[in-house]
Amino acid sequence: MAALEVRGLRKQFGGVVALNGIDLDIDTDRVVGIVGPNGSGKTTLFNVVTGVHPATGGTVLWQGQDITNIGAHRIARKRLVRTFQQAMSFPGLTVGENVRIAWEQGRRGGGRWASPGTILDFVGLAPLGRAIAGSLPFGSLRRLGLAVALGVSPELLLLDEPGAGLNDSEAQAFAAVIAQLPPQGIGVCLIDHDMDMMADLCDRLVVLDFGTKIAEGPPAEVLADPKVREVYLGPDKKAPAS
Amino acid sequence: MPVTDNSAGKTGAATGRTRASHRLALLTADNASVPLPASVQAITAILLAVLLIALPWLGLGYRFLSIAITTLYTAIGLYGLGLQFGQAGIMSVGHAALMGVGAYASAILSVQLGLGFWTSLPFAMALSAIVGGVIGLPTLRVGGQHYIIITFCFCALFVIVLTNGGTFTGSATGLDVGSVTPLPGINFDKLSNNYYLVLAALFLALAATYLIGISRYGRTLRAIRENEQLARSVGINVDLHKLGVLMVSGLFAGLAGVLQLYYLRHISPTLFGAFPSLYLALMVMLGGARYLYGPLIGAVIVNFLPEVLNLDPVDSRIAYGICLLLVILLLPGGVGAGIKNVYCALTGGSGTQTQGGGSNGRA
Ligand SMILES: Nc1ncnc2c1ncn2[C@@H]1O[C@H](COP(=O)(O)OP(=O)(O)OP(=O)(O)O)[C@@H](O)[C@H]1O
Ligand SMILES: [Mg+2]
Repeated sequence: MAALEVRGLRKQFGGVVALNGIDLDIDTDRVVGIVGPNGSGKTTLFNVVTGVHPATGGTVLWQGQDITNIGAHRIARKRLVRTFQQAMSFPGLTVGENVRIAWEQGRRGGGRWASPGTILDFVGLAPLGRAIAGSLPFGSLRRLGLAVALGVSPELLLLDEPGAGLNDSEAQAFAAVIAQLPPQGIGVCLIDHDMDMMADLCDRLVVLDFGTKIAEGPPAEVLADPKVREVYLGPDKKAPAS
Repeated sequence: MPVTDNSAGKTGAATGRTRASHRLALLTADNASVPLPASVQAITAILLAVLLIALPWLGLGYRFLSIAITTLYTAIGLYGLGLQFGQAGIMSVGHAALMGVGAYASAILSVQLGLGFWTSLPFAMALSAIVGGVIGLPTLRVGGQHYIIITFCFCALFVIVLTNGGTFTGSATGLDVGSVTPLPGINFDKLSNNYYLVLAALFLALAATYLIGISRYGRTLRAIRENEQLARSVGINVDLHKLGVLMVSGLFAGLAGVLQLYYLRHISPTLFGAFPSLYLALMVMLGGARYLYGPLIGAVIVNFLPEVLNLDPVDSRIAYGICLLLVILLLPGGVGAGIKNVYCALTGGSGTQTQGGGSNGRA
């Protein structure tokens, strides 16, 4: 039994079917990648799993419990935590306070971090603890997003395009941090468009297209799949490097 | 892993600006989340406490002391508003009505059941809290702007109900109460004793505000103010906390209302209508809702300004309007922010790392 079991998950926005019956198993000891063209439903999958949007149909089981539509804050307290595609923070507060807020929530029932400072050290933000989050440059803001999510002491972390908007060296540094998570018992499920990075980082890839899972498996296999190549080899899309 | 940016570089860039605009930035930056040294906080608190306690002995006269009492009970109500607006980001323009709930609850308990100040106080505070929570229910569904309109409507409705409440509410004439039940050796008919009663309540309000501000609860409220969605995603029950802070704010309002009632000894609906409510909103913005002494500063300015400048009521309304515009334009964080920034500038403290980035996201 996987930690996160998604069964027949559907989400409709008016006439738009964003998720059309997704089945997915995610364990907490590895990095799972979710890829797919723009608008294929990746973010919506995270939003429905973490309770930001209610599901139209289907169920989400977390550690054997049905968490479908129980509300975002309850899901986070069960240590299933996500970050947002649009880098988010508590902009008017200091970096330290941002992380402390999450840490204080995660500490209920025993968190994994001794103090907010250990999280800042882990993501490399320690020197900026007193800076106001809203004045951070983008790269640091992404790190802060990760630090806030880590503060909740997740068992599974859903990262929505953590590398978007970062330059190459920043993205590489970020990937290095993410790779350290599963060995510490923090499972990672990652959305990103950078296929090279995804192939490196992920133990398993899931491909979505129009709200449907069209492929799943080890990265090399998935990226060689003709169906996947077809989706990505649309008229003006770059072929994924494999 | 290396940190690829440095805030030191940003501070350096600021020196390139003209001195005037730098000065302005120092004044306007929102500094509320940067703590002052504990020693500075302690000295400020002690000086303020000594000043407030000594006030009746300074021989400033009956009129001065009366205005001081008005200022202090108003400030107590403002501390509630400061909590919901400054910390949680929920503005209300009907706050006087919430004070009115407390005042009228206490007055009606006195008239109908003969309950005195001390016995009616907890009931009045609880009722204000409950009403605050009930008016807050719509905030869970609609955005902050809608809530502001709801509070305004509540305020109008409250006045209508009071004016049409017959002998129960005293209609337009209002209700009278006796004086505060004396404690052993303390007779509250004496103005200075009434002052100390209100001052004690103010100290409680200040202490509560301070403790909330530095606690996990305060941080939770600020998280909601800054980013509701992110707050939910880290496990904060946003709805519960919004209702909760409106109820806590109601407690302060109830306390302030009862103190107002027993100072004036007579209340009528106009005390709790739209104008007094707007003044409360003005005061809290003027003083700086996010700062410990902001609400008190706002109350002092608005209550003493007409006295100091010798303004008649119409002139003083114009003066308030100008003040509000100036504050919105120059000091979005309120006078409290200005004072703190000036202090930080003078001591060369690390006060302004914000570069103006912190003042967004209000309400
Ligand atoms: N809140 C919403 N309201 C209405 N439609 C939405 C909403 N969120 C997503 N959609 C629609 O659902 C579909 C899937 O969007 P989603 O954001 O999940 O795609 P995505 O795979 O994350 O794309 P991207 O790679 O661009 O981030 C799109 O057609 C989008 O327009
Ligand atoms: Mg997306």
